[in-house]
Amino acid sequence: MNSTPNAQRPTLNVELATATSASDIKNRTSNIIWRILDFVLAGIFIYAGALKAIDPVQFASDIDNFKILPWPVSVALGFYLPWLEIFCALALVFRFLYRGALSILMVLIVTFTLATIAAKIRGLDITCGCFGHVSQNWSFPSHLATNLAILAALLALGISNRLRKPL
Amino acid sequence: MKFLLARQAAVLAAVALLPAAGEAIYFRNNISWGSAIAPSEMVTVDQARAWGDTAIWVDARPDDEFARDHVPGALSLNEDRWNELLPQFLAVWSPGKKTVVYCSSLSCNASREVARRLRKEAQLSDVFVLEGGWEAWLKESR
Repeated sequence: MNSTPNAQRPTLNVELATATSASDIKNRTSNIIWRILDFVLAGIFIYAGALKAIDPVQFASDIDNFKILPWPVSVALGFYLPWLEIFCALALVFRFLYRGALSILMVLIVTFTLATIAAKIRGLDITCGCFGHVSQNWSFPSHLATNLAILAALLALGISNRLRKPL
Repeated sequence: MKFLLARQAAVLAAVALLPAAGEAIYFRNNISWGSAIAPSEMVTVDQARAWGDTAIWVDARPDDEFARDHVPGALSLNEDRWNELLPQFLAVWSPGKKTVVYCSSLSCNASREVARRLRKEAQLSDVFVLEGGWEAWLKESR
């Protein structure tokens, strides 16, 4: 009488185990992809931060070109923002203070983008200075596309971070 | 959750202050906090005029503004045609000469950028930015 349920139990266990294993693999693959995105974004911000940290005088001048902030504030930001970018990028790599880093980077990229758009509207022909002098010859659409792509990636990381399980 | 996020952001913001302060000390002689151009790189109209023939005047404004009027004897050197105009300037330049770059007014950036490129790319020393630019020249010439 009990033979039928007993006979079915191993099959159910195998199915459950298979389903769990498939789900684990899926989670693992998904986590690896998000980690790769962490590293790519961190690389971009470390590169951009280092370029500006090497030449803070030029970066202060780039900020001043926007004609939004007084010169002493541009100088202070010229020294400060590159290091903020670098530390936030390192936080992405080591997943330490992760959410705070994502928030700061999102605020920075939104600010850079809005400032670039405002400058364009005001007819100022300037470089955003986002990637130091490497970005000097970038066109306005290239700047905008790059910034929006970075913002989209940061948003995706922020959302995925709430959903994903640890590796 | 929001408190945690703000705390994390505040920690990162505070940590970044340390190397920034160090860098500000390291670069203290390369930048002025009071003006976009270091005072030693600025020159007034009167000072530049006093240099006489030892000064080369460089007009960093766009071609049409240069064509309309410019400082007597000035050479045009703007960023739009940098590669084309730089050799013409270098042909006139000689060691010991001072270069005075100007653009339209106090608020323009072109003279600062041209002066910076002359120092950095052409490796020239004694490059100065005219305080007040073309407007100041016109005012002093009246």
